[in-house]
Amino acid sequence: MKDTARDSVQATENLKHSGTNGVYAILPCNGLDKAAGAVSREVALQLAERTGSEILCPVFYRVAEARYNRLAGERPLLVIDGCATRCASKLAAENGLKASKKLTVTEEAKQRGIELGDALRLDEAGCSLAKALATALLDAEAVETAEQKAATAFPEHFEYETYQKDKFLFRLPKSGFFFNENDVWVLADGNRARVGLTDYLQQTLSDILFATPPAVGTVVEQFGELGTIESAKAVMEVVSPVTGKVVAVNQALAASPELINQNPYEQGWLVELELADFEKDRELLLDFAGYLPVLKRKVDQFQVR
Amino acid sequence: MNEATFMGVPRSRIDWSPRIDYAKCNDCLECVEFCPHQVFEVREAEMPKLIVKNPGNCVVFCRACAKTCGVDALSFPNKNQTTLLIKQVRKEMGGR
Ligand code: SF4
Ligand code: SF4
Repeated sequence: MKDTARDSVQATENLKHSGTNGVYAILPCNGLDKAAGAVSREVALQLAERTGSEILCPVFYRVAEARYNRLAGERPLLVIDGCATRCASKLAAENGLKASKKLTVTEEAKQRGIELGDALRLDEAGCSLAKALATALLDAEAVETAEQKAATAFPEHFEYETYQKDKFLFRLPKSGFFFNENDVWVLADGNRARVGLTDYLQQTLSDILFATPPAVGTVVEQFGELGTIESAKAVMEVVSPVTGKVVAVNQALAASPELINQNPYEQGWLVELELADFEKDRELLLDFAGYLPVLKRKVDQFQVR
Repeated sequence: MNEATFMGVPRSRIDWSPRIDYAKCNDCLECVEFCPHQVFEVREAEMPKLIVKNPGNCVVFCRACAKTCGVDALSFPNKNQTTLLIKQVRKEMGGR
């Protein structure tokens, strides 16, 4: 894409994103073979009733693309997957639609300690889960911008060591950064830190389509889950290098997840955290000199699949 | 660098790999296709068909394949206990 074209697409995306007010085009899983399908459908119905969002029927979508593609172009797209098979996400990707929000029912149920069971009809538990999910989504939207503490001013550019294999170039910032062996970096400034993926992880995932950071206020533990990153290939959990509380998320990623591919250390950072005990975390982190051989080993084994 | 270590600790001392819940697994093999580290093995004629063949190949603290499993049949050891164990072993090794 030419730069100007990209800029204008980006401007529209930003506009679309800032003015949602909870009014979406919703593409839900409508799976009839799992309880999570019924819950997805119910979340979509709840949101449609409460906000005037419009639902895209995944089955009808197969035969009437044009109408839905237009609708999805006019409003931000919310994709609701029932389970990890992610049929709705895949359908969106096939049609070149970019989601601005995503929800996976089984994940949410797990986080809330709810067993979905085998019944295919929506039962009471499923119904209250659907209600809770719809409410949480609308609430989050309302506080998201209010709560976000201004992102700290971290440097915008770094010096890199590079390592190349075939046509792939892997950058590694030379100083200040720490890494875990799960290919996630942390850059601390006092008790505040920025976290993101390394070039290695970004390259193995290839084109990143969607980043789901944890909500501001979430407390994560070292090696716990710090949101997910989705590419055409897979959904990957981000393994947190530190323990702390999320105080800001990189909002530019909602409209432009490709920033992670462009430079995951600079504009493609993921979240900022308030650190709990960085000295303790550091015991199980690698610095540049420690991570470089790990990176080289991984790159040498790396196979494009 | 020795390949079979994690943060300086011999990989063999760290118990980290997926656990398959055979009551849920439907042999779709999404997890096998996803993991690039040959952790799983598929045995065509046997029951169960899918086994964790090389637990030591699994990347410590990775849980990525669990996200590909539509029926949520994969689980992992407790990460806090694993973290503690790694720190403990590092201490022992440092004291030598
Ligand atoms: S993805 Fe899940 S259901 Fe499919 S083979 Fe693996 S463990 Fe079994
Ligand atoms: S946790 Fe990661 S490394 Fe281990 S088997 Fe799953 S995908 Fe492979």
